[in-house]
Amino acid sequence: MTTATRFFLLQVLALALAIFFGALVGSGILLIIHKNPLEVYALMVRFNLTRADSIASILFKSTPLILSGLAVALSFRANLFNIGAEGQYYVGAILAAYVGFAVTGLPRIVHLPLVLLAGIAGGMAWAVLPILLKLKRGAHEVITTIMMNAIAGALVLYLLEPGLLRDPAQAGTPRVRTPDILPTARIPSLRPLLESIGLQIPGYSSLNWLLPIGIVLCVFFAYLLRRWRFGFEVRAVAQNPDAAEAAGISAPRVQFLMFMLSAGVAGLIGLSDVLGFFGYFDIDFPKGYGFLGISIALLAKNNPLGVVAAALFIAFLDRGAQGIQVFVGAPREVITILQGVIILAIVVGHELLSRYIRAQRKREAQAAPIRPAAAPAGAGGGGA
Amino acid sequence: MDLLLTFVSAALLASAVRLTIPILLTALGAVFSERGGVVNIGLEGMMIMGTFWGAAATYFVAQGFPDLAAASPNVAPLAGMLVAAAVGALFALIHAVVTVTFRVDQIISGVTINLLAVGLARFLNILFFKVSTQSPGINGFTPISIPLLRDIPGLAPLVRDTSPVIPAALLLVILGQWVLRRTRFGLRLRAVGEHPLAADTLGVNVYLMRYMGVLISGALAGMAGGYLAIEQGRGYLEGMTQGRGFIALAAMIFGNWWPIGALGASALFGYFDAFSLRVVNLRIPYQFITVLPYIATILVLAGFVRRAQMPAADGIPYAKEEE
Repeated sequence: MTTATRFFLLQVLALALAIFFGALVGSGILLIIHKNPLEVYALMVRFNLTRADSIASILFKSTPLILSGLAVALSFRANLFNIGAEGQYYVGAILAAYVGFAVTGLPRIVHLPLVLLAGIAGGMAWAVLPILLKLKRGAHEVITTIMMNAIAGALVLYLLEPGLLRDPAQAGTPRVRTPDILPTARIPSLRPLLESIGLQIPGYSSLNWLLPIGIVLCVFFAYLLRRWRFGFEVRAVAQNPDAAEAAGISAPRVQFLMFMLSAGVAGLIGLSDVLGFFGYFDIDFPKGYGFLGISIALLAKNNPLGVVAAALFIAFLDRGAQGIQVFVGAPREVITILQGVIILAIVVGHELLSRYIRAQRKREAQAAPIRPAAAPAGAGGGGA
Repeated sequence: MDLLLTFVSAALLASAVRLTIPILLTALGAVFSERGGVVNIGLEGMMIMGTFWGAAATYFVAQGFPDLAAASPNVAPLAGMLVAAAVGALFALIHAVVTVTFRVDQIISGVTINLLAVGLARFLNILFFKVSTQSPGINGFTPISIPLLRDIPGLAPLVRDTSPVIPAALLLVILGQWVLRRTRFGLRLRAVGEHPLAADTLGVNVYLMRYMGVLISGALAGMAGGYLAIEQGRGYLEGMTQGRGFIALAAMIFGNWWPIGALGASALFGYFDAFSLRVVNLRIPYQFITVLPYIATILVLAGFVRRAQMPAADGIPYAKEEE
């Protein structure tokens, strides 16, 4: 077995161990509330995999998660931490909703792309200031984007005030939402396509075309990062900005572009719900996807293709949580806790493993015969 | 008319003080954590744990010992505050183990702790109280009037019938400032946050110091949550922290990583908060006022107001043995 395959197998093992550890903690909690963990987990798997509505629900739930995981992973790849995906998707979603109800008279083929672009633009607009302040003034993007998240929350509330984007038709009701988005701007359901290939999903499922769009984006970015010259520049900047700079790569330019790409993808996160499910932007629209995206990017180790799998895994747990609540009477929060424990176990496992791998590599390097001594410390020589 | 205005503004100030305390306690905690070199985004989660456990402990002590609670009504809320602080510290211990011992990225650990806290609070609430988002009502501390100060006419609404946690929090700030500036512990903590290698060479136990900083931050964030639930909410309600853990981080930055600075910043933020609640009949939308602290923090971080002087090794894990 070569060293590379051994390291890969170790990583898979670490992932499995982390999930096992999470399941173990979950079992402890279930035992406390007098439920049989094996029964609960078995029900969860059965409920999730043997019902068409569960499959459709998992796929629908995974749509925003794929996008948020991808958004966060893209920033991580450039050594940036876009904790602001949360705020960026609020802004993207409300801007898309606005273009969706206020711009009239367009055919779908123009209107729908326009709405998607509005989402992307909203996400990007919310990221310009943090990344510029990071690159020009050294303001740490984690704190500035957290602040931008809070400002986005307030902005959304403000825009939903009467006289602005609030639906006048809802006056006198407690509903705080925009007017209905025009049919030309709604994302079409995936059902016709799935039925044409013989797959049945329940009529009420909101599974829509944003799912394939998200997967295609993941594939595209995986390809870009691996094969394009720009992808090589990103890796160089992430590994050693100084060396990259010396090689003629502008690190600020690369970081700026990657942060904007990350924010653009983030701008799409809310659209599956807004354009594919609700059909309007509501004050209670789903929040928290941006933070979940961080977990997903970690699970996927920032690999765009891994993001799809990680998002499906989280969506699987989410759907399973509903199942166990209904059928075994176990609170769904058990699964939320389990998710948190798995993520923590994975990041700790990943850290220990990469430390072990570094140590192994060093040992092998020392065991090898005399090598040139000019390698810069810590650079690892990768990509140079 | 003048009198009325004074009264209104004094009521406003009293409300501002009440809103300042949870931000202040958490910001004070953040100062200790970051002075030791550990960024703690998980403070929000520790605060959430504080709100739940503060309310739950108060409730159970009051229910379990009705005679005691009747004889001295302050016992139950005091127990609540202590449990809230202890659970906050326990949650901080997770952060310390993950980031100091295992050297995992501090932001990642903090974000995960926040997610964990939300789920755990709901779960525990179902376990204890059968519903997911709310605890039964509880009684807080008996209000106190501060001697001497209560006789000054203008200050009356601030210092009469006020929560004892408020003066206690202010004392903690002064204590915190003194500890960081003057004591051996404070100097060592700061050394570890500025230059861990140098501190290590001089025989300071870097890991121990960082653990202490993180644990103190968790205990204070837990107390802040306890104050919210016991003194303001008179019970736990899901989401009652409203992101104050993050505002506290902003207050810490705005206060330049010092307790006294954090006090000034928290007071300012608390005042904005109180003002935004009362601005309904003004022409400015209240959201414009709620975002002022965030904008101010961004400006400080970008160095437009003054240079942010964060500890040099803040956020960087320290490896004692270099592999």
